[in-house]
Amino acid sequence: MRVLRLLRAVLREIFDEAAYERFCIQERLPAGRQSYYEFLEQTKNTTKQKVRCC
Amino acid sequence: MNSGIRFAMWTLVGLLGALALATIALHRGEQINALWLVTAAVCIYALGYRFYSGFIAAKVLALDPQRATPAERLDNGRDFLPTNKWVVFGHHFAAIAGPGPLVGPVLAAQFGYLPGTLWILVGAVFGGCVQDFVILLFSVRRDGKSLTEMAKAEIGAIGGVVAYASVISILVILLAVCALIVVNALKQSPWGTFTIAMTIPIAFLMGLYLRRMRPGRVLETSAIGFVLVLAAIWGGQWVSQAPAIAKYFTMTAPALAIALIVYGFAASALPVWLLLAPRDYLSTFVKLGTIALLAAGIVVMHPTLHMPALTKFVDGTGPVFAGKVFPFAFITIACGAISGFHSLISSGTTPKLIRRETEIRLVGYGSMVAESMVAIMATVAACVLEPGTYFAINSPAGIAGQLPEKAASTISAWGFPVSAVGMQALARSVGEQTLFNRTGGAPAFAVGMAHIFSNSLGGQAVMALWYHFALMFEALFILTVLDAGTRVGRFMVQDALGHAWKPLGRTSWYPSVLATSGFIVAAWGYFLWQGVRDPLGGINSLWPLFGIANQLLATVALCVATTILIKTHRAKYMMVTLAPLAWLVVVTFAASWHKMFDPDPRIGFLAQARKLALGGESARLIFNNRLDAVVTGALIVMVGLILIESLRQWVGILSGKRAAQTTESPFVITGLAEERV
Repeated sequence: MRVLRLLRAVLREIFDEAAYERFCIQERLPAGRQSYYEFLEQTKNTTKQKVRCC
Repeated sequence: MNSGIRFAMWTLVGLLGALALATIALHRGEQINALWLVTAAVCIYALGYRFYSGFIAAKVLALDPQRATPAERLDNGRDFLPTNKWVVFGHHFAAIAGPGPLVGPVLAAQFGYLPGTLWILVGAVFGGCVQDFVILLFSVRRDGKSLTEMAKAEIGAIGGVVAYASVISILVILLAVCALIVVNALKQSPWGTFTIAMTIPIAFLMGLYLRRMRPGRVLETSAIGFVLVLAAIWGGQWVSQAPAIAKYFTMTAPALAIALIVYGFAASALPVWLLLAPRDYLSTFVKLGTIALLAAGIVVMHPTLHMPALTKFVDGTGPVFAGKVFPFAFITIACGAISGFHSLISSGTTPKLIRRETEIRLVGYGSMVAESMVAIMATVAACVLEPGTYFAINSPAGIAGQLPEKAASTISAWGFPVSAVGMQALARSVGEQTLFNRTGGAPAFAVGMAHIFSNSLGGQAVMALWYHFALMFEALFILTVLDAGTRVGRFMVQDALGHAWKPLGRTSWYPSVLATSGFIVAAWGYFLWQGVRDPLGGINSLWPLFGIANQLLATVALCVATTILIKTHRAKYMMVTLAPLAWLVVVTFAASWHKMFDPDPRIGFLAQARKLALGGESARLIFNNRLDAVVTGALIVMVGLILIESLRQWVGILSGKRAAQTTESPFVITGLAEERV
């Protein structure tokens, strides 16, 4: 069970779901279109520069 | 566990590893099971992780669990965030694992399975894992600084300039070679082209779905995207069998190259959320799943390796790429053994997530071990093929022959029997018109992977589906690298131009966005075009260039690491980074010399240019070879510069003439010390 929880946490982090959740908590915003738009705007620069290895 | 049991267990691991290694190294003339490779790898990685990385962690780097990391000190809930070590491990692995560890080992399999396997194992344990580990720690101790910033601060201005130039060169050459692999995999393949073309609207759809319908549900969206990609693979079969539609997706190599250049430009200029981000999610989803599936397939099916341990091509006459096993095996396999590119990730997002210094061992060293295991699986996938089949797929028409019968007889004459009829049957079974002259490594890997999968899941009836699944998996990987790389290159150019004229540095100013995107795409597009027109298949010249550029970046990283070790009074342990550095310098210099000056036209760029000039070939082809020689020369000058600068630092500090000034952040005690990991 612990392993599954960990696996879920790993996947949520890789797929930025956890980052979005943290953003909503930090900005005190409900999950939804507007907050996701703001999240994308705020993380735009880091996402744009994310290097993917060969 | 008490020490007696631990000792017995590690002794057993050592003995098993030695037995497996002896089996793969000493068997001649007999086929061995792939599980020997897997067993040797698992045991060596386990020993390397337990003992060598333990030694580095305790003695060389002196990881301090009491020292607060930047994730804790600068926690802003976004870039800097203390994160569970397994989560960071997954995140880091997903970023470092790309097409490199799949393609390099497949190409190097022309020497037999042994050279590649030994280099992957030794290179990873003593080189790649160490590089990733030390750079991650040094970045953590410098508030998450990037490699170029560290090179500038620790080695000097020249270090910073060389690091910057090597990142740009590696990006351009990497993107060109990646695009060439996709071109070679998809040319004259309506099924493959349709499937990959469909991933673009699928990514758009995912972007819109994420933005409008289910904001933030990335995993769910990626799963939907994955199902749609599977449907596209299924649909591709139908497309390939409908001549009226198939003709639109049956493309020549030049046409595909143009399509990719246009795509690269669009991907760099379009909003991130619309194409880049969803494709990245989709690619990661497929990548993690497929790697797990491939590992399971190899263990369940435990196939026999048909490729011999060593082939006659160790003498440098190989058809896949020319050059002797030394130095070319060591630049052909970079990712999987040691890859300079990883140092960009280790000094990118990962150091900002590390919760405690002691966790760097798992993330830095451990992730590279996992990547190296992927390279071993790629070696298995290539070597389960009959050698004749492997060479038929990977030999360019300029060497094996244009017509199937001619190619089959040439390859059979090398001592690797293959027939045109047999290859035709294999091509039919995977839904292709032909498998001859499909250079680049991706189709050979796809056939090997389909072979493994179809024998464990679904049988021969689904061979074509597995083949196209494998092809889609690789192309998706590569196109993600292309998207992200073009964009990163664009940012680097904008950053540099911004110093000359501020508006050019603004990432939201469209004239600058278009101009810099165009510049980066033109740079890699030129090399791609050159590869497509190359009579020797392109991979022969571009992959070694990529290998040299990648190892140049690793040289920069290891120079930075050695300099920091000396500056922090740990010179007695400098061999940990100096030994792989010395090896890389020897390999890079030797390979570069051969690529520039070797009298064999298949190896030396200048010899090839002379041969083309004598044959009255086009001026463009002659120029391309001379350009490649100049690029190789420029890379080697950069290696020389960074070495000289580093040596000046080392000698100065060790002789007491220079003060050992380092830029480490001040020690702050962690508030997380008592928390259980």
